[in-house]
Amino acid sequence: MFSSKFSLKFATSVAIGCIIAAQAQAEETNYPLTVENCGHTLTFDAAPESTITVGQSTTEILYLLGLSDKVKGTSVWFNPVLPEFEAVNAKIERLDDNAPSFESVVNKKPDLVTVMYEWHVGAEGIISTRESFHDVGVPTYVMPTDCAAKDNSVGIDGTRSELFSTAQLYTSIEQLAEIYNAKDAGAKLVADLKAREAAAIAKAEGLKLDENTSGLFWFSSADMDIDPYVAGQKGVPAYMMDKLGVKNVVDSGEEWPTVGWETIAKADPTFIVIAEMDRRRFPADDVEKKREFLMNDPVAKEMTAVKEGRIITIDAHAMSPTVRAIFALEKVSDELAGFGLNQ
Amino acid sequence: MTAVDRPIQRWSNWHWGVIAPPVLLVALVAGAALGETRIPIDVVLQVLANKLFASGYPVERIDEGIVWNYRLARAVVAACCGAGLALSGVVLQALLRNALADPYLLGISAGASTGAVAVTVAGLGGGAISLSVGSFGGALLAFGLVAMLAHAAGGGVGLRAAGVIVLAGIAGSQLFNALTAFLIAKSANAEQARGIMFWLLGNLSGVRWEDVVSVVPAAVFGLVVCLFNTRALDAFTFGSDSAASLGIAVRRVKLGLIGIAALVTAVMVSIVGSIGFVGLVIPHAMRIVVGTRHGRLVPASALAGAVFLIAADVISRVIIPGQVLPIGVVTALIGAPVFAFILIGGRTSS
Repeated sequence: MFSSKFSLKFATSVAIGCIIAAQAQAEETNYPLTVENCGHTLTFDAAPESTITVGQSTTEILYLLGLSDKVKGTSVWFNPVLPEFEAVNAKIERLDDNAPSFESVVNKKPDLVTVMYEWHVGAEGIISTRESFHDVGVPTYVMPTDCAAKDNSVGIDGTRSELFSTAQLYTSIEQLAEIYNAKDAGAKLVADLKAREAAAIAKAEGLKLDENTSGLFWFSSADMDIDPYVAGQKGVPAYMMDKLGVKNVVDSGEEWPTVGWETIAKADPTFIVIAEMDRRRFPADDVEKKREFLMNDPVAKEMTAVKEGRIITIDAHAMSPTVRAIFALEKVSDELAGFGLNQ
Repeated sequence: MTAVDRPIQRWSNWHWGVIAPPVLLVALVAGAALGETRIPIDVVLQVLANKLFASGYPVERIDEGIVWNYRLARAVVAACCGAGLALSGVVLQALLRNALADPYLLGISAGASTGAVAVTVAGLGGGAISLSVGSFGGALLAFGLVAMLAHAAGGGVGLRAAGVIVLAGIAGSQLFNALTAFLIAKSANAEQARGIMFWLLGNLSGVRWEDVVSVVPAAVFGLVVCLFNTRALDAFTFGSDSAASLGIAVRRVKLGLIGIAALVTAVMVSIVGSIGFVGLVIPHAMRIVVGTRHGRLVPASALAGAVFLIAADVISRVIIPGQVLPIGVVTALIGAPVFAFILIGGRTSS
């Protein structure tokens, strides 16, 4: 059952992907192109030749689309670039590891600024609002992953009204591909990712986890013993748990709420996923420090997940709306399979 | 404020010695019993009995850990911080003869913020220095600077000196707030800035027994020093000149008490962040309830501060299910109306 379902889905996805890719081969973008994007209407007379990216996810999507030569500067990095793009990325100027200033972006006179999060460029953006970019003739594109069914004025990291869906990610890839006259590359990338996602979902569903299985995704904590930042009900980790058929022990609808260890321990998750990142600002950024806490804290160490050693490490950036989320779903499924939790 | 007909104002000092321990004990048990999740009171009492008297009741280890390691440690630290901050407020209001004086007046909270941000955001110490140590260092540095500025600006004795100290504190706070903003703008990403701000607003969620070791001595030391100086504090309330005329070594006592208030505040801030309201309002509230004599005001403020902060911490954990509010928000939200009530009641009955 498991393998046939798996291979069928996989084969179907690949086949569809191939068909789309084949059809798209000849497809050119018709300019002027109008794109509806997070409450703004963008019009492009031609494909942008120079881009500044604000957010690692948009940077990597452009690389995956083969558009690295259109990227003149990058910013807002969370983790190292995907290994296959190390060489490409090394040649492109990094305006800032974190948020660049408004002027440093505008000074590059980009044809387009692509944005991952509205808290960088948006209504309360720390870099600036989209309007102020548009006022100086620099268009901005915000990934739908951060605005479709998401209210960024509620909660510290915004609050989604619906569960995150990879459809938003695919829309983003397709829109960017169309804007840059690379629809064929976009279709191929989306097809590849959908196939990979379908395989991961099939694997997750194939696990047939007990219906009481629950999980916790721990991103980091502002101080080691303090209430941690954990994944809420509707973000990317929630999408993973939904696909795995696992209950999130965190009730909050916020993207990254802080929840006390007392509440978490009483909910006693079956497994815990911890984020690995290069950032070293909070002690808990270090994945080893997270493990150390779980093993030694008088309450945390009594949780079933910790006692049974069911702790999974994934890329922190995979807990955000990125292509890495799909890769991580695969990894979590694989590791869960090793815990012998299936019925 | 001269309403001597209220029985509580007739209590002599020793009454406080009898009343304070049981009240504090009840508050601590309540702090251990109430929290984000529901743990039955009998389980809570069994855990306490196990830990204190090795009673050996069978309890789940998670419950035991939550009650003993999380909640009770938290309640003890909350009590100490509440008492410490309230006492610092009493001391500064008396010495500076300024109703608006609070423990953070001397640049301590601004300095603590700078220290905490320097460590966590700007990477000072390369991970070897903890947030608490950073903020303690920052608090002392800021206080040192404020003290030097006040000294350099001179002022001798009397109201002018008090005014100079207040102004020096404002200047120091502004400087360190600007430094904090500079460090955040220069090196933090928004996520870190938010994380650290959450901590700076006051947060007891990371408190464990290790922290008890530093706050209990600070609170006890502060209380003892205040109790030994109640006569001096009374005298200062009427001004440095009248204190001097009563044979008090004005300069030495003043500097000593301000320094101790600063030190106690710095310890508290470094463990729990800048919890506002307590140090400013508890002394005023207690003045209305027990009168202005420090023999009563000091123990009353310490006890009220302790109980108030335990209560505020419990409320911060239970008021919104599944979410913990910053305690500074609760102290002001609950404290302001309560204080308004006391203020009105105090006026009408006096």
